[in-house]
Amino acid sequence: MGNRFGLKDILLYLILGGILVSIWLAMVQMDRQWLLIRQTQGQLEEQTRDLADIRRQLQRGLVVADGAGASAAASQWGGFARALQAEQMPDYATGDWYVDYFPDDLQKLTPVLSSDAYATVVQQQVLDTLITRDPETLEWLPLVAQSWEILDGGLTVRFKLRRGVTFSDGEPLTAADVAFTFRFVMDERVAGPRWRAYLSRIKSVEADGDEVVFRYEEPYFGSFELAGTLPILAEHFYGPFLESDEAAEQFNRSTGLLLGSGPYKLTDPRGWAPGQGIELVRNERYWGPVRPAFDRIIYKIIQNDAALLTEFKNGDIDFYRARPLDYRNLTADPSVTERAQSYEYYDARGGYIYIAWNEQLDGKPTRFADRRVREALTYLSDRQRMCDEIMLGYARPANGPFNPMGRQINAELPTRPFDLDRARALLKEAGFEDRDGDGVIEDADGVPFRFTFTYPSGSDDYKRVVLLLKDLYVQAGIILDPEPTDWPLVLKALDDKTFDAISLGWTSSFEIDLYQYFHSSQMEPGGDNFISYSNPELDRLIEQARATMDEETRLALWHRAHEILWHDQPYTFLFWRSRLDFIDRRIANVQRVRAGLNWPGLWRMPGEWYVPKDRQKYDR
Amino acid sequence: MVNYVIRRLLLMVPTLLGITVLVFSVMAMAPGGIGANLLTRGGDMRPEERQAMMEYLNRRYGLDQPMTTQYLRWLNNVLPIGYETQADGSRGAFGVKVPDLGMSFVKNRPVIDLVAEALPVTLLLNALTVPLVFAGSILMGVYTARYRGQALDVGIGTANLALWSVPTIWMGVLLIGFFASEQYLKWFPTTGLESLRADTWTFLPLHTEAGWQRGFLLDVLWHMVLPIACLTYSSFAFLTKLTRSAVLENLLADYARTARAKGASDQVVLWRHVFRNSLLPLITVAASILPGFLVGSVIVETIFSIDGMGRLVVEAVQMRDREVVLSITLISGLLTLVSYLLVDICYALADPRVSYE
Amino acid sequence: MSEAVVTRRSDRRESESFSTRVLRETLARYGARFGLAWIAVVALAAVFAPFLANSHPIAMKVDGAWQSPLLTHLTWIDLALLAAFAAAVGAWLLRRRLSGPRRLAMVALVTVVAAGTSYLTLSPPMAVIFDQYRSGLADGSIESAIFAPVPFSPTDRSRDNPLSLTPPDALHLMGTDEDGADVLSRMIHACRIALGIGFVATGIALAIGILYGGIMGFFTGWVEILMMRFLEIFESIPQLFLLLTVVAFFGRNIYLIMAVIGLTSWPGYARYLRAEFLKLRRQDFVQAAEACGLPIWSILFRHMLPNGVAPLLVGASFGIASAILAEAVLSFLGLGVVDEPSWGGMLNQAVGPGGTFAVWLATYPGLAIFLTVFAYNLIGEALRDAIDPHLQRQPS
Repeated sequence: MGNRFGLKDILLYLILGGILVSIWLAMVQMDRQWLLIRQTQGQLEEQTRDLADIRRQLQRGLVVADGAGASAAASQWGGFARALQAEQMPDYATGDWYVDYFPDDLQKLTPVLSSDAYATVVQQQVLDTLITRDPETLEWLPLVAQSWEILDGGLTVRFKLRRGVTFSDGEPLTAADVAFTFRFVMDERVAGPRWRAYLSRIKSVEADGDEVVFRYEEPYFGSFELAGTLPILAEHFYGPFLESDEAAEQFNRSTGLLLGSGPYKLTDPRGWAPGQGIELVRNERYWGPVRPAFDRIIYKIIQNDAALLTEFKNGDIDFYRARPLDYRNLTADPSVTERAQSYEYYDARGGYIYIAWNEQLDGKPTRFADRRVREALTYLSDRQRMCDEIMLGYARPANGPFNPMGRQINAELPTRPFDLDRARALLKEAGFEDRDGDGVIEDADGVPFRFTFTYPSGSDDYKRVVLLLKDLYVQAGIILDPEPTDWPLVLKALDDKTFDAISLGWTSSFEIDLYQYFHSSQMEPGGDNFISYSNPELDRLIEQARATMDEETRLALWHRAHEILWHDQPYTFLFWRSRLDFIDRRIANVQRVRAGLNWPGLWRMPGEWYVPKDRQKYDR
Repeated sequence: MVNYVIRRLLLMVPTLLGITVLVFSVMAMAPGGIGANLLTRGGDMRPEERQAMMEYLNRRYGLDQPMTTQYLRWLNNVLPIGYETQADGSRGAFGVKVPDLGMSFVKNRPVIDLVAEALPVTLLLNALTVPLVFAGSILMGVYTARYRGQALDVGIGTANLALWSVPTIWMGVLLIGFFASEQYLKWFPTTGLESLRADTWTFLPLHTEAGWQRGFLLDVLWHMVLPIACLTYSSFAFLTKLTRSAVLENLLADYARTARAKGASDQVVLWRHVFRNSLLPLITVAASILPGFLVGSVIVETIFSIDGMGRLVVEAVQMRDREVVLSITLISGLLTLVSYLLVDICYALADPRVSYE
Repeated sequence: MSEAVVTRRSDRRESESFSTRVLRETLARYGARFGLAWIAVVALAAVFAPFLANSHPIAMKVDGAWQSPLLTHLTWIDLALLAAFAAAVGAWLLRRRLSGPRRLAMVALVTVVAAGTSYLTLSPPMAVIFDQYRSGLADGSIESAIFAPVPFSPTDRSRDNPLSLTPPDALHLMGTDEDGADVLSRMIHACRIALGIGFVATGIALAIGILYGGIMGFFTGWVEILMMRFLEIFESIPQLFLLLTVVAFFGRNIYLIMAVIGLTSWPGYARYLRAEFLKLRRQDFVQAAEACGLPIWSILFRHMLPNGVAPLLVGASFGIASAILAEAVLSFLGLGVVDEPSWGGMLNQAVGPGGTFAVWLATYPGLAIFLTVFAYNLIGEALRDAIDPHLQRQPS
């Protein structure tokens, strides 16, 4: 330090610091642009190779047969019917981008390893499955498979594969790849315990020429879906990772190994790393009869609510999933409604919120073991009010675990309204009344009706629901102590069954299996019947339904099961949330279907959305 | 001096060890265990999937072993000398190896990668904050000391104390609310350190036919205005007060009077004589402030959604991502201790009266 | 705060003792006066919170008879605070008759007795339906009622007339929060947490710091080296990390939060006291005491501590400010107490999902935190100026 350290030196250091920082920033930016250049080069090379291939094929005199007409094509291409219809629209055009977002950062895109829902959304565009579903009729349609047979009362499923299906790198997709997928997931060295557990119902998968055969241990109504919706991994791409322990370890550490035969692909199937958004480009080698409409599908990662809204208002994202309060504000905002269309709908896969009443604590039945108490609490839980006040009307009360969109629900069952007098009467019948005049009801031994109510911390909606419940229950003299709990502790409470009542949500589907939640065998540690609920009749119904392959018979059984649940109220089912989405008006052919919206990647096939030529925004 | 530094460095070892033991035991005491939280993201798993996941993680990370074994295993991994760990978790040969901070259970990625992503962000924020704070507060401090006792000085002093008392959370909320919201002024962006797709921009501002493009440099600076304002003001206020009292003390010292008596102008006395001596207390305080920036950035990074170390640690604590928490406390502990040591050395260099022999 | 200084130290009252001088000089500063005044306001709000903001009417007439739901709903904490306040006022009135320690003992005794008896005897109704009074007035079952100035309890979410996130109006002077509770009422009741956290956390930190620092300052050699390492460990782990960890793991209990803030902020005091003791050890009176063969504890805490404690109080004053800040940050990050009002928690609701900005939820609680922290800092600074003779020499 010199003797004359003074004002000038400070300025000097400041300037020096500033220069260093900007040099560093410049280097960062240069690196990224270098990466961009490399990417573009890669794409160019690939295109040159494709061109060469085509030229060679033309020289050999191969003629690409044109479809005999759209209608013929549609029947031939089962799963693509709707996409082909979209292609017939007068203003149909390919091109432009669809920009979506994820509100949470994504750690892995690699299939088998990834566990979050967002990775699944991306994988749906990249990986194909054997079958797909019609979003309107919900019936199964062929995709990579051409046809299938269910044999031995559901113990064997045999798929015949379509010819000419290729992965995005040009390699053909064969039955061997399907068999490989199963082998790969089941390999102990691969860090995919979750997928492994999911597929454990399958006994074996064998490739047999252009057919693939799935075998099961026992008949199960979901086994066809299990096989048909297994994403197909490429053996030539993922196979080398099984060659040694080091290679498997390398796979386990990977973040973005994703290559498939779907309509979109990653520019670099090995290069994606977390911390950046996801950019899918059209798979130009896509094997289906339609060319995927968008040039690119982009998923930005925007974790901050305020930023998200700004991005959407600026038109930087084409999609915005609002919360009730936002939705109400935004639909009243002309600048938003001018450029985006709002959609309020129920997603078939959206879930419901419920309260689970623990019926057994430390081996002894709790007060919730009495059906009348549970019913009284259901009468007290004013679900209409929750939907109106907390969800602002964008939810509907639930009365059972089955999705109102699907056919599994027993539509004849009513939803119990808020009824203080009925609740009081039921509680009195169960032996609870105010014996000492302090406003709280007590049982015969004088123990006041007071319990802790566990709910996952961090969610505003849960908090508001629980506070409303607290204020509602107190009217009948029941004291509720809210206990927001960290997720790991919630899980622990469920495992140890050390809670009084808990509020959680389950996601749903078109047809769900009640076994996991309500069968008495699932009271075992690790099972999801954490409330120790048991009803022999329900057990029998569930077992019967699971083993029934015929849909109509099975649905009748489910309806009966719903009735039992409605009567017993092991859960107080609260509400189904609606999806509140805004989609840019640029995007055409957005339709409400039975399954929700016909958004790209609803099932694995090219989406039905497109941007008419005159409205295209991103063209390069 | 060299002896002193070596001794201090050696004394750091038990402290660092103690830090890890303490943090490890706090994490070990976590009810619900470390394994359970891995399921945080897959809350909707089937029971058999959950079971399989638990078993897999227990086997892979040895989470079912006694705590002491787990700790020793972790310690062995982070040390540059120790047993190699094989892929299947068994123990290999003893020797020099690459320190391994372990894997994040929740994100399923190596901790070192996560730190490598987050650290530059926090460093960038601080690289701009620290010089700004020091330069600003030194100038302000000297200025107020020169006008000591006058209304201006008292006013600035009180204002500084007030500024120091403003909670960062409040400042952050107000800045976002008034300068980055639709309802009031929409001058600044609310989140992150760069615009989306800024990676395709040029570095410097560019004017083309199509219009004006900000360029990457300006974009980053623009994004950093509010976070840096939030990070700087309180240390600025604190350091200003400190500089003021230090300069004041020296201005009244005998040597300053002597210098003035010898006919040196006020300017010369202030900048040549008094100023250098007044820097001493600033150096000491630098030690307590530098690690403070890391913590200060927890709040700022949370408010402005910047993916730096602060966010990483808050997330890791909430998810009980033990390896991440341990690594970050280790790093921040090391930084703190090293900065203490640096301060002591600087102190000796700057002040001939201080000796550590 | 500075009153405590006086009471504790006025046993050495000569013509004008050190403590009296410090008090006089502290109070001569406008900053300290302002600080004390604001803290007095907060303290009064904390003590009288149930009478200032409550949904239960002070008095109401049912079937021709008057009754007071407000009094029947008082909790033992309310009573203990009121008793403590009454005792403090009494002690102040008796300041000429009783010595400092006795007055302190009197206040403590009264508080403990009141808290104990009311805890054991009081059982306010647990089932509280806030809207019964409003609906009762509307349907005539309550003939008339007199309400507190703010007729809402902090947890009264007005279920009869749900209004979430409404800006200030005539009914809710500071608006409502996202649950529909009255912000002004929550502000008033939150004073308790703010004051409590400051005193309890700093009390714990001071106690540990004094004990630890005293021992470290007296013993040298291995003990000191070991203890210094331990202290460094605590210093090197940022307080916020530990706070986040403990609260995330062990739940959101306000007492736990107080304890953890206390347990993580003692190293500063310990370090300071150690330095002070190292200086004092060389002084004659300590050497004399040692020569007389007095036990170590006596030397440490009877002879040395009173001389080293004054600067600690300055630190404590700043410490209270930072403890309040720590709790606010915790609540702001969504890890504070549930349902109980807290300034930081309200501030957290100011920027809502979708970027909506509720100005009233940003301004009032933020201002309250700021003013309280500022007040303690002002007092701390005034105390320091008064204690430090070095700075007495103000330049002309």
